[in-house]
Amino acid sequence: MSKPKVAFFDFACCEGCQLQVANIGEPLLDVLDIVQIVEFREVMSEKWNGDFDVAFVEGSITDEHAVERIKKIRERSKILVALGSCATIGGVNGMKNSFDLEEVGKYVYGESYKFFPTLHTKAVHQVVPVDYFINGCPIYQPEFLTVLKCILQGIPYYVPEYPVCVECKLNENVCMYDRGVTCMGPVTKAGCNSWCINNGNICYGCRGLTINPNTEGLKEVLKNYKIPEDFLIKKIEMYNKCKEFDKS
Amino acid sequence: MKTEHYRILEKSKITDFLDKLNTISKVAAPVYKGFNNYAFQTIKSAEEVSLKYIPTVIPPKKYFLPTNESLLEFSLGNELKVEPTVEYENLILFGVHTCDIAGIRCLNMVLSDKPKDTAYLIRKKHITIIGLECNDYCDEFASCAFVGAHLPTTGYDLMFTELEDYFIVHIHSSKGSDIIEKTGLFKPAQTISMEELKALREKKSAIFNNEIPTERRYLPDLFDRSFNASIWKELEQKCLSCGNCTAVCPTCYCFDIKENVDLSLKVGERYRVWFSCQLDPFAKVAGGIDFRRERSARQRHRFYRKFRYHIDRYGMVFCTGCGRCSRTCMAGIKLKEVLTSLIRESEAKIWRKWL
Ligand code: SF4
Ligand code: SF4
Ligand code: SF4
Ligand code: SF4
Ligand code: SF4
Repeated sequence: MSKPKVAFFDFACCEGCQLQVANIGEPLLDVLDIVQIVEFREVMSEKWNGDFDVAFVEGSITDEHAVERIKKIRERSKILVALGSCATIGGVNGMKNSFDLEEVGKYVYGESYKFFPTLHTKAVHQVVPVDYFINGCPIYQPEFLTVLKCILQGIPYYVPEYPVCVECKLNENVCMYDRGVTCMGPVTKAGCNSWCINNGNICYGCRGLTINPNTEGLKEVLKNYKIPEDFLIKKIEMYNKCKEFDKS
Repeated sequence: MKTEHYRILEKSKITDFLDKLNTISKVAAPVYKGFNNYAFQTIKSAEEVSLKYIPTVIPPKKYFLPTNESLLEFSLGNELKVEPTVEYENLILFGVHTCDIAGIRCLNMVLSDKPKDTAYLIRKKHITIIGLECNDYCDEFASCAFVGAHLPTTGYDLMFTELEDYFIVHIHSSKGSDIIEKTGLFKPAQTISMEELKALREKKSAIFNNEIPTERRYLPDLFDRSFNASIWKELEQKCLSCGNCTAVCPTCYCFDIKENVDLSLKVGERYRVWFSCQLDPFAKVAGGIDFRRERSARQRHRFYRKFRYHIDRYGMVFCTGCGRCSRTCMAGIKLKEVLTSLIRESEAKIWRKWL
């Protein structure tokens, strides 16, 4: 049996998630034992003209070219995986959606903005169907391997729907709220093993809101801790602005 | 209280004792983590230990029921091979408060009921519990007197109680008396120490007052009247469903089962991780139906699980009064306040019936 053909693509993003894959270390050799990487711009120059068994897509969809390109990739792929926050939830690119598109264009390209038509930012699944989601900005390497193994076994991967606090408590960290610092953990999807808090940082909310977040409740909490509400709104919008396209 | 079951340890010798303990086996004890947080950790030397501490972030339950525990290993070659696994090691837990010992008693009850949790029972045999009695409340969140967990009763090998200038130590098992012998630092207790211990317990009964305005024996009635209490709706607004209250509770034992294979896709393990009724996926079944979607229903379940269901099944209250759930809840949901609100609302209902 030949090895599954795997490719990596990027759209609007910083390519940091692909870098996480390339830097995965020793397990990468085992990965290469079981899959054949046919396209991965960040580490090789070869291109592939055929179909893919698995395509990992990093980045969000922000213009017509991207829409066309992602549709073609989708047609050529048996399984399509959204890699990283930009791809899974729109991520920081979504902040563009808070502004008028013309204004944004002018800000970036000056008067020649008309030559660079732009669209509202969308996550990949808001344009084409996505089979697997690997959240995070950047992705958490152990989760990448878990998802890869699920794909190769033909079983689903369930992104944890509960908040980062769950993992954080099991790691027995001192809670950021005890330190007097705001943390997005209570409304952010888990799956990163509370990576940032384990290393002394707050959770920035990079994996996106939980499925059923009590944002009103969190506003009350912030009030009790004397943290301004708009601070929370900004933090949520930093990664979750594209969520409004999910409602349709 | 039989004097021959008690020993004395000079306070100045506690460091020696802990260091000697460390030569017998691995020792875990409360360690300060900053910002008024403590955690049970394996220690290298006595200096790391905090003798005065408030309940640790997660309870010593983690040694009996690891947060992530391998259950079996399998390989999928030409034939399927499955091998159950049990992870255990000899461990001495030092400085366990009586509330946490009560928590372990709750776990013992459930996990030795059918179907027996073999891995837990094996692990438990390898753990020695050295208790440390509280002479005063740890903080305002505690409700250990309400459930009677503020005094040593049973469930430990040795119990340390601090008196004016020495510790009086109760020997409660042969494992405990082995430690007394091996460390060789203890003196027999005299009648005078027994009297001092008695005096301390009397002093404690003035300090530790029932923290909840009802008695334990009225709990079944109270909860039978409270299924539709208004507090559950209030909790719906406040609770973030972060699961912290259940993650830190010494009497929660729910888990999720997962599998992990290595990159050959042939060899792997099945393991369990702590899980909680407060979390969205907990009561979800095939087809996406969620039996407990509302936060109010999940919070209500938590309280019934502590104060009602297990009374019928095991004759025990499954709250140790440790206060962890209240301490950890950033939404400010406090166990003592919830119980008090249930009591007030139910009293009002009873009065209305009479008037
Ligand atoms: S530090 Fe953040 S993630 Fe951890 S428990 Fe506190 S709020 Fe939750
Ligand atoms: S802790 Fe928060 S910010 Fe950090 S990786 Fe996890 S979800 Fe992202
Ligand atoms: S700790 Fe508080 S906010 Fe979190 S689930 Fe428990 S009651 Fe709700
Ligand atoms: S319900 Fe709260 S106070 Fe009671 S045992 Fe659990 S964490 Fe401790
Ligand atoms: S709850 Fe009671 S027994 Fe537990 S630490 Fe506090 S005072 Fe001690």
